Amino acid sequence: MHNKYYCLITGASEGFGKALALECAQRKMNLILVALPGPELYNLASFIRRNYQVDIVAIEKDLSNEENCIALFEEIKALQVKINMLINNAGIGSTMLFSEGTIQLYQKQIKLNIMATTLLTRLFVPALEKNSPSYILNVGSLSCFFFLAKKQVYGATKSYIYFFSKSLRRELSSEGIHVSVICPGSMNTNTSIILLNKTTSWLARQSVMEPKEVARIAIDGLLNRKEVIIPGKVNQCFLLLDKILPSPIKKMITNWQMKKLNSKKYEQIFYSPVLPVEEVISLTA
Amino acid sequence: MKILVTGATGYIGNHLAHTLACMGHQVHALVRSSSSKELLQHQNISIFKGDILDKESLLNAMQGCRQVYHTAAKVGVWAKDLSVFYKVNIEGTLNVLNTALQTGVERSVVTSTCGVIGPSLNEPMSENDPRINGFAIDYELSKKMSEDIVLEYAKKGMNVVLVCPSKVYGPGNVSHTLTTNAIIDKFLKKGIAFIPAPGTYKACFAYIDDIIKGHLLAMEKGNSGEKYILGGFNITYREFFDRIRNISCSVGHIVQLPANIIKGWALLQQLNYKITGTPPYFTIKSTDIFFSNYTFSSDKASRELGYTITPLEDALKKTIQFLNTIHHA
Repeated sequence: MHNKYYCLITGASEGFGKALALECAQRKMNLILVALPGPELYNLASFIRRNYQVDIVAIEKDLSNEENCIALFEEIKALQVKINMLINNAGIGSTMLFSEGTIQLYQKQIKLNIMATTLLTRLFVPALEKNSPSYILNVGSLSCFFFLAKKQVYGATKSYIYFFSKSLRRELSSEGIHVSVICPGSMNTNTSIILLNKTTSWLARQSVMEPKEVARIAIDGLLNRKEVIIPGKVNQCFLLLDKILPSPIKKMITNWQMKKLNSKKYEQIFYSPVLPVEEVISLTA
Repeated sequence: MKILVTGATGYIGNHLAHTLACMGHQVHALVRSSSSKELLQHQNISIFKGDILDKESLLNAMQGCRQVYHTAAKVGVWAKDLSVFYKVNIEGTLNVLNTALQTGVERSVVTSTCGVIGPSLNEPMSENDPRINGFAIDYELSKKMSEDIVLEYAKKGMNVVLVCPSKVYGPGNVSHTLTTNAIIDKFLKKGIAFIPAPGTYKACFAYIDDIIKGHLLAMEKGNSGEKYILGGFNITYREFFDRIRNISCSVGHIVQLPANIIKGWALLQQLNYKITGTPPYFTIKSTDIFFSNYTFSSDKASRELGYTITPLEDALKKTIQFLNTIHHA
């Protein structure tokens, strides 16, 4: 166990993190999976153990708490395992008007998306240097290139990740640590998002990708030492258009998008399971 | 005991209704059209005309029932309006659960599908394994969302158990073209079966009698809020049809079709739909389901419910015998 290298993935139990874990396992990498407390993490770890011949360590941690980031580092140090890949994937997404979000949400989002990534990177850099060549993958977002309504805080945290990764890359490449940042667009990560993605406009649907596919592109890009990874042709087109379109036209598009967001037409599709179940049960009990 | 069965004209629901009736229970069968009466002829079966999307009719059918088997669902990979999958499978399930709470039903069993768990890698999938691919098919997504609702209700105190049958075959319904029965039937009658190439993809073939027993066992012994895979044998398509060929002494051809051909076939069907209005059997985005392993482990059901699997040979013999009799009728 002591001579093996491990890949550390945060936020590994669901969505894109789960897809990254499966992709890395398929490439025969040993894994340290970190996720919020809950059965999903252990279910994933046991599934990977049964289906791939790799070593798995599963650690429950809420990384939005700074002390937990340090505790995670200590725990891994105590395990005496060698890490040569760090994937900072844990993050909180949100799509809402600024006034709709609570202070607690924004605090948590900034702590997890920015603080945890920064802390863990700082803590693990010495180990990564020792085990070089090694890799750091930070998960940004396509929304760090576009100033989208309802994505103010989220987009800003991802801009931080983008800046941080590109800057750090210049520092660490001489130490044999290769830093990449991936900026994915919409992904089919959970049931309500999948259903929402099925009901959006044709153009928006073309840009939606499966986490599995994005994970493959991510690890390919990381191992090929790409600086910025933009998965998907449609997303690459969006970026190109953004560069060549004159700003008045972009403004028009943004206004149109804003109007659509306000029309709330998509909310009808959700059959919310939030029903007065307790009331009914108390009636029958 | 009075028991409601939704989807009582469907493959599983119909078998279940008859099995319960033969056991001496008073079965309330909820059906959408009265033309399906002949499917439900038994002195212990009372037909209630209605729909799981019509709460009044549901309430009427469920009155006095102590147990509910909710097998009704919109199945398949295609519909003219895809929202019908969500309407029937999500809203329908919500209606059934709410009415069950309202009428004081003691316990319910909801039929889901292994399709929610999705494709497998080397080892058969268990109840808690993570899904490894996306939800391209609306049927699977809508069933996943309805499962989430059932689990949510169970967490809040409702007495309800989930069962997930795999690919079901055996005497009974051959109406839908893509069911295993219909494919076996075609193999016996026309001597040809198309399977995905290479023929080494595995599926979990479950015999209808086992599935019905599994439902009864889940009602009797299942833990509320738990889900149980009701499966069968995990074997390759090739082996499955080879066995059928041997048992039936037929000289049928097993033709392996590569992904591109099946995709092309799907495209032709979609074009045909545009021109003639004939619904496609499968669509391009659903062809991936043919090119993955779908193997499942019934260990949890065996351990906790005493679920058993009929030997493949016996199950196939009975199925072939049945299909041959309706063939000659």
